[in-house]
Parts: sequence; C-alpha cells; structure tokens
Amino acid sequence: MNTTFAGLELRRVFRDYVSMFFIAVLPAFFYLIFGAAQEFSSERAGNGNVAMYIMISMAAYGAVTATTGIGGLAAVERMQGWGRQLGLTPLADSSYVAMKAGIALVIAMIPVTLIYLLGFFTSAEGTATAWAVSAVMVMFGAIVFAVYGLVVGLAFRSEAAVGAASGLLVIMGFLGNIFIPLSGTLLTIASFTPLYGFVALARYPLTEGYQIDGSHEPLWIAVTNVTAWAAIFGLMAIALVRRGRERQ
Amino acid sequence: MDLSTHHQTPVLELKDLAKTFRAPGGQHVRAVDGVTLNVQPGEVVALLGPNGAGKTTTLDMVLGLTSPTSGSVSVLGRSPREAVTTGRISAVLQSGGLLRDLTVRETVQMIASLFDDPRPVDEVMTRAGIMALATRKVSKCSGGEQQRLRFALALLPDPDLLVLDEPTAGMDVAARREFWATMQADADAGRTVIFATHYLEEADTFADRIVLMARGHVVADGTTAEIRARASGRTVSADLPEHEADAIVDRLRHRSDVTDVSMRGNRVVIASSDSDAVARALLVDLGGKNVEVVTASLESAFLAITEEHDDEHEPDQQEVLA
Repeated sequence: MNTTFAGLELRRVFRDYVSMFFIAVLPAFFYLIFGAAQEFSSERAGNGNVAMYIMISMAAYGAVTATTGIGGLAAVERMQGWGRQLGLTPLADSSYVAMKAGIALVIAMIPVTLIYLLGFFTSAEGTATAWAVSAVMVMFGAIVFAVYGLVVGLAFRSEAAVGAASGLLVIMGFLGNIFIPLSGTLLTIASFTPLYGFVALARYPLTEGYQIDGSHEPLWIAVTNVTAWAAIFGLMAIALVRRGRERQ
Repeated sequence: MDLSTHHQTPVLELKDLAKTFRAPGGQHVRAVDGVTLNVQPGEVVALLGPNGAGKTTTLDMVLGLTSPTSGSVSVLGRSPREAVTTGRISAVLQSGGLLRDLTVRETVQMIASLFDDPRPVDEVMTRAGIMALATRKVSKCSGGEQQRLRFALALLPDPDLLVLDEPTAGMDVAARREFWATMQADADAGRTVIFATHYLEEADTFADRIVLMARGHVVADGTTAEIRARASGRTVSADLPEHEADAIVDRLRHRSDVTDVSMRGNRVVIASSDSDAVARALLVDLGGKNVEVVTASLESAFLAITEEHDDEHEPDQQEVLA
C-alpha cells in the first residue's frame, strides 16, 4: 500500500468542502431531522426502533454519494490526461483501481461512522448484530455505486456530469424507499430501481424483511436487485473502457 | 551522416513503426507510416514537423502509452513499458494531465511515491525552478509554470532518455526561453533528449540533430546544417533598371539554372541552383545593382522538404485506406 499516494488522495477529498457537505453533513442532518427528532423514532421496528431504521437509510445515502463522486471523478481525471501522466510511472492499472476503491471505502466510512455515532448518542436502538451487520452491508453495497459513478464519468467525461450523477441519487433515494416509506404500486416500481436492493439489504439485519406497513418481503428480491444493478453497471463500465481504448 | 556506425547501443531504436487509427466514419488513417530511427546516447534530437505529421503518436509509442499497429520500439534494449517502470525513460507531455486541486509540491510527492528509488522531491523542484511555487495550487499556475512542474515530474526517475512533446506550446516568448535554458542545462549534463516541436527556431537552437516528419514519414534526418543544405540552392536578389525590368525577368526565367523569379517592387528575387552564375549575369550583362546572395533559411528548407514530400504523395486519398 502506497501511503503517500493514498494520503494525498484522501487529503484532496477532505479539502473539497462542498463534496464533504453532501457526503457527510447533509445525511447526518437528515437523520437528526427525519429520525432522531421525530416522535415515532422510538417505536419498535424489527430488531430495534424506527430511529435505527432511518439511521441506516441515511448512512446508506451518504455512503453512495461518496462512492459515486469518487468513482466518477477518477474516470474524468484519467481522461483529462492524468492517466497519461500516471502512464509514465510504474503504477499498474490494477493497483490504481484498487487504490481508488480503497479511497472510496474510506470516504464512505465517514458518513457511516458519523451517522452511526449520532444514532448511538440519540435514540437509535437495535441488537448488536443489527448495528454491525447493517454497517458492513452499507459499505459493501456502496462499492456498486463507485462503478455507477465510473460509468457516468466514462460516458460524459465531465465533472459536471459526475455532479449530476450524485444529484440523481436523491431521486433514486426516493424511488429506492430511502427517504419516505413507500407502499402499494409505488413500492412495486421502487423494487426495480438501483438504490432499492442496496438499502433493503442494509436494513435487513434490523427489519428481517418487514416493511414499515407490516408487509413482508423475501430476501431474494433485495439480493436480485443488487446483483442485477451491479452487473448492469459493471458491463457498462467494461464497454466504456473498451470504447475509450479504441479511440486512443 | 550515419550515426548507427558508432557501434554504441542506441538509446532508442524504432523499426518500421506504424500506427493506424480508425477515424470517425470508419476510415483508417495512418498517423505513423513506417518510421525507422536510431538515437544514440547524449544526442539531442528535434522531431520537427507540421501539425498532424505523426510526432505525438510516434512519441506515445516510444513511451508505451499506445501500442504500434506494426513495427517495433526498443528503449535501451527493452520494451517501452519496461523502460518506464524501471525509470529509464520519462517525458514532459503536452498540456493537460495534472490534478488542479493539488499543490505543486503535493503533485511531485504523489508521482515520486510511485517510483522505487526517485530523486529527492526538493532536488527535482530546484532543478526545474519551481521551489518558489511549492505551496501554490496547480490551478493557479501559469502554462509555463505547469510545464516546469511536468519537467520536475519527468526528472524524478532520473531517466536516461527524456522525451518532450511540444513542451513550449502555448508559452509566451520569455517563458519559452526560460524553459529551454533549464532544459539546456540538463542536456549539457549528458542526458539524451528527444523533443517534438513545430517551432523551427527551437529545433535550430537546441537540437544537434533534426528529424523532419510529414504525414507519418521521416522525410529528412540530419544536422541543422545538413537540413538547410537540402533546400535546393540559394536566393539571389538585385535592383533592376526600371524600364528594362520586364525584359530582364523574362530572360532570367529562360535560364536553366533558375527555379523561380519574383519581383518585389524594383527588386528581383531569384531562386537558383547556381547562384554564382546568376549573380555574375546580373552584374555583368543585366545591369543589376545591390546584388545579394543568401543561403536558404531553415524555414525554406522545411517548406521545400515537406512540400516536395506532399507532391510525392498526391492524391491525398492514398493516406486514407478505406
């Protein structure tokens, strides 16, 4: 592990206060307003309470915002000539990808840690397993969205597009059952959108598949959703990398 | 002058190198078309040519950033990628390619961390003349300052061969001069340098040897003096008596040793393969005054050679294989 390189990459992200606001501060604020401050937050929900449910949702939202931005900017950076500069060093492509993935995970950890700490000191309650497993699921699933950011960066080649991709996460968040509990037809539609499976999986240790309205959803729906979207983003990334090579 | 007879291992060896691109519309374009070239240790070589001559593509293959369609590249007997990973070759690339949110020092530290045994960060920054800019953000640096930063990065592996791809593009005259002064100091210390440029002046003052490229081919290769001599003959000019000018021009045009005649006011300018004979005729028979004989400039040599090459390659479509 090249600590100098990774350290400087981390410093770049920390210095970008606007991004840090959207990655960490905003989701934490959402948790406090929509979760901790609400009367219903102490109501029971599966292996914990509603505050915990909202805490996991907001941590998940912060984590994907982080990974989308890092994945997207990595692609844009490479295409704007930094890739050529790195091509003049011994750094292998695979090490570069591993390094950027590592950075994305570290940055994703920031909103997760912050919001889980806030949850711990406010009203979030749950079994130890629910706390630990949900955090791991959030981090794991967030990697898929680093690929989503990468796809947007490769396709549109601009920082503005990556910003738009992060903005689009808000809409995906509503459709993905993150911000407002959905029900009926809307919930059925939601189950096909990219963030749905990810957040359902992250909440599973708490809810064990029970929705806020009391209905139960089998685990395979969330797993299928995540797998399908991971495959879609992955294939798109491979196709775009190939297209980029041919142009050289 | 055949440098390959020196029996040294060449620093760079290109054999029949070619690169074909697929242009938008599905046509194949030969950007580099059969380049063969050897560069010996310590040489400073200018790769000179108009835009689109294939200079950047050639250098990209030398650096392993692009792979050739056919032919081979060998840098100190290794593949380009191997030469890069072992720090034997390094480059200053054309504009682009820096992270705008890093400071100058951070950029050098970052790239230094990728090499096994780099030169110290402070040393390369001092040699590139950017110590004073250490804490400045890359986005706040001028084009010339960014180019110096790229030069510092190129010095990190202490390469045997330094490649510069149009290093002064977009710089003003002062920045350009300053950049070459820095570079000259480095070349004087014995490093082999190959640089692409479309400024004749740069090639003339900085290089020992000029490789002239046009349309993907090497069209001339030699010292600055040799390239000059390639432009056929010299130019003779003289003032003509006003009332006889037309008749004299007509007589000059019929001489077999005259290739071109033009009038600039009262003054006739003659391109000739035998300038002495033309000058004598002007002075003795034709009443010419203020006769001047001038050696062709490097610029006219450049134009003569590249145009000559264009003629050989008409029609244009030959360059585009369906």
